[in-house]
Amino acid sequence: MFSVEAEGLTRKFNTFTAVDHLNLQISEGEVFGLLGPNGAGKTTTLRMLACLITPTEGTATIAGYDIHKDPLKVRQSVGILTENPSLYERLTAFENMDFFAEAYGISNKQERHDRIKEVLEFLNLWNRRNDKVATFSKGMKQKLAITRAIVHKPAILFLDEPTAGLDPESAKEIRDLMESLSQHEKRTILLCTHHLEDAEKLCQRVMIMNKGKCITVDSPDGLREKISGQPTIQITLKTLTPNIVATAKTQNQVVDVKVNQQDSSLMIKVENANSATPEIVRAIVEAQGKILSVNLQRPTLEEAYLKLIRKEKP
Amino acid sequence: MNANKVWLVFRKDWREIKRNWQVLAPLIVIPLIISVVMPAVIMLIPNITPQTASSPQQLEELLKNMPTSLKMEIAGMTSQQAFSYILIVYLLAPLFLITPIMASSVISSDSFAGEKERKTIEALLATPISDSELFLGKVLVSFIPAILITFASFAIYGTVVDILGLSIFSGRLLLPNATWLIMVFGLAPLIALASIGLTVMISAKVKGFREAQQISVILLLPVLAMMFGQVSGVLFFGPLVTAAMIGVFAVVDLLVFYAGIKVFKREEILAKPA
Repeated sequence: MFSVEAEGLTRKFNTFTAVDHLNLQISEGEVFGLLGPNGAGKTTTLRMLACLITPTEGTATIAGYDIHKDPLKVRQSVGILTENPSLYERLTAFENMDFFAEAYGISNKQERHDRIKEVLEFLNLWNRRNDKVATFSKGMKQKLAITRAIVHKPAILFLDEPTAGLDPESAKEIRDLMESLSQHEKRTILLCTHHLEDAEKLCQRVMIMNKGKCITVDSPDGLREKISGQPTIQITLKTLTPNIVATAKTQNQVVDVKVNQQDSSLMIKVENANSATPEIVRAIVEAQGKILSVNLQRPTLEEAYLKLIRKEKP
Repeated sequence: MNANKVWLVFRKDWREIKRNWQVLAPLIVIPLIISVVMPAVIMLIPNITPQTASSPQQLEELLKNMPTSLKMEIAGMTSQQAFSYILIVYLLAPLFLITPIMASSVISSDSFAGEKERKTIEALLATPISDSELFLGKVLVSFIPAILITFASFAIYGTVVDILGLSIFSGRLLLPNATWLIMVFGLAPLIALASIGLTVMISAKVKGFREAQQISVILLLPVLAMMFGQVSGVLFFGPLVTAAMIGVFAVVDLLVFYAGIKVFKREEILAKPA
């Protein structure tokens, strides 16, 4: 059974279709990324799955609960970080957390206190618990909103831009938290993000959306390969001789060789990097080449993403 | 419906209200004007400046449309006593029907529209608090302070009137009387509930607080009509009329709450393109 499963999910606002017949399946403990430009329909998808708006067509089950039949149980099973931190600025950090923890069903006061302390301490906010949220920086508000999303230990997390507005250190803290929630606690995470670094580091699979439709779903590696083919082998040598270049060019599977005299390196395009790399390295060594390093150069997820999105543009 | 969740919404909102002077000020100032300033002006000014006192002709004009029971009550009073009595005991009574509506209008207009403006609504709607629990919590956080303020205002009003009236009415205590008790403790809460219920529904539908408040002002009109009805003699708030109105508003309240819970759907609040 999937933690999140959507079929034909569609949302129209008058004549505008924000999400168009989206199908989605996310396994338990998986971190799934939803990528796309502004207006792609990511937030609307997330809102439908969190029972904040009803789909015009289609359905979804979250933790086994139907979004049409059991919206309260869906909300109970989900922790959500919304586009805005959505915090009550006149209340203190603790009062905010206390309200949401009780709203999500932690009725015992001591249990609530202990859990709030645990999550606030994890993100270094416990010392500021009695300060009004209005006095918090943007990054602190974002961190508090994330602690709110996890306070009731939900099975599924919907996170809309979790590292937006955070400094690199805080962003890493959040990424580490997501990784730990997914790997150690088997929580399922649906991540909407513009930060491809987050998607690349955290997501097992990503969906690229544009104009409400799914363009593709794959792992970050699979996506890169799909877009840019096999990785390029970069071999850096102590000295680059014409004999070595000629040797590289005559190897099996080699499609193209580019020479960079400045740093004495070769960029070798091959049919299959896994099988070709050992053969090429062996041949260069036999040709008296002194290899300093061998790297497989893949396009970044960002390059793959941009290529896909540009392809979609009319 | 889980009463704890309703109470939770109430507590959260009340905490916010307590820290917001823009909301607290009308809750305090308007009732003070009605319960202290108005009776003091009516009772003290004619004694301080006798030229402002009413003449028997003016009294006759005022009494023209008043019922016989009132005329009997003021028999034997001087024109000044009668004027003060009519104003203080009868004509100002409907103001205490307006007090809870005015006191609550800021809070109830802000209930959902304010959360939309402050961008806190999404996290609230994402919680497993049901639509009816949310609606009721928002209604109660407007109703309870407003009605407690109305009761307190009535107590202050009665005390001010009785203290200032001691010398004017030769030691006679004017308030409370049966009509006032029925009106303040029976009719005012019911009218307030209907108004608050409708305002919270409006607040959920509109985009911002000001829009909600402007529309909710319309809800004052029926109460103002009652007030003018009393002044013009068309309607007289005796115990029977007040009791009958309690029956009418009890039905109105039930309809408003039934409609509120049926009509209020959280999915519609965010279901508008930005």
